[in-house]
Amino acid sequence: MNGTSKTSRAILLDGLWHDNPVFRQILGICSTLAVTNQVLNTTVMCVSLTLVTAASCLTVSLLRHWTPRNIRMMVQTLIIASYVIVVDILLKAYWPEMSRNLGPYVGLIITNCIIMGRCEAFAGSNRPLPSLLDGLACGLGYSLVLLVIAVPRELMGMGTILGYPVPYFVDIWDPWVIMVMPPGAFFTLACVIWLARGLQARKEST
Amino acid sequence: MKERLFFPPVYMFIVTTVYGGVLIGLGTWANPRIEANRQFAFERAVLASHGLDQGSTAQLHQRFLDRFKEVEQTGFGTVYVLQEDGQTTGYAVPFEGRGFWAPIRGVIGFEPDRRTVTGLGFYEQSETPGLGAEIVKPYFRNAFDGKVIQSNGRPLRLVPAGQSTADNEVHAITGATQTSTRLEDILNDAIRRWQAQDAPETAP
Repeated sequence: MNGTSKTSRAILLDGLWHDNPVFRQILGICSTLAVTNQVLNTTVMCVSLTLVTAASCLTVSLLRHWTPRNIRMMVQTLIIASYVIVVDILLKAYWPEMSRNLGPYVGLIITNCIIMGRCEAFAGSNRPLPSLLDGLACGLGYSLVLLVIAVPRELMGMGTILGYPVPYFVDIWDPWVIMVMPPGAFFTLACVIWLARGLQARKEST
Repeated sequence: MKERLFFPPVYMFIVTTVYGGVLIGLGTWANPRIEANRQFAFERAVLASHGLDQGSTAQLHQRFLDRFKEVEQTGFGTVYVLQEDGQTTGYAVPFEGRGFWAPIRGVIGFEPDRRTVTGLGFYEQSETPGLGAEIVKPYFRNAFDGKVIQSNGRPLRLVPAGQSTADNEVHAITGATQTSTRLEDILNDAIRRWQAQDAPETAP
């Protein structure tokens, strides 16, 4: 799986679908559940995570020949944390409302297992460009799942998308409060994993 | 791969120095801006409590400086007095307390009679988005306009949506019972403590 000869196309497809961090590797679930009740918050979270993952993978890959093996985790944590702090500072300075909306979850990107997982599994043993691509692909794969969860949660929980009421729908729909609350995320995530794995299984068997 | 004994610490030291330096630089550069954002969020909440929060950032900041006078009230704290031509035309009273997840901080505005509410503004809250966090939406905050606080019992009441509202009652947010009751307590606590004081001195 970690072959150095993987094509860019294969890396992208793996991150987005075959090896998707959320529904295949079940990584980064915490934020998947926490920030998916409004599409706008989710989008910003996805962009932040994708940038941090890509930048971290690139850096880890660039430093891979010099980093001593026994302290590599420390170095990775330091690199990831630094990029997260950069994102956090930029959000606080230029988009304070969003920074307040996301609260502690921006800082918690540091502990998102996807990033360290990809640094360990891919970036540490691959050239910089494929690593950057792998980071991007996994970030996008995570974003895909988050958005797939966020859209129905906001729609069913509030009758809106990106804060705008959906025409006609709001008139007939009685918002389900549970979709906005944390349990709604569990139900939706379970359905998404079920669907995705069902589709994958069907493809494999044919 | 270099595996000499001293190499890992030295390497870690160098990487930490580089990243630490970059972050300190970025932090120092962004800090005034972050601080200004925080101050502005408060100013906008004060303006919102009197429905004056329309306009650009610069306009709002100037309006806050022009119209509001900071007054220290012993026994309560800082209150902002809205003035026009030396006349007091309203008060903005800050409040804060525990919300569902984290503190809720905001400002409630009053007419010069100190009983009629002019509005509500929030500058800090971490309630559930789409649920408790609806308190910052205009439809909820505007519902407070023109409400008159009661002298006995709870000054303001949040009642379930669908029920008709009296002079001191506002509809709570459906599904956000915790946020609603806590907000009601926070508001009433601040109002009671403020009412216990005399009207602030407003000599220009």
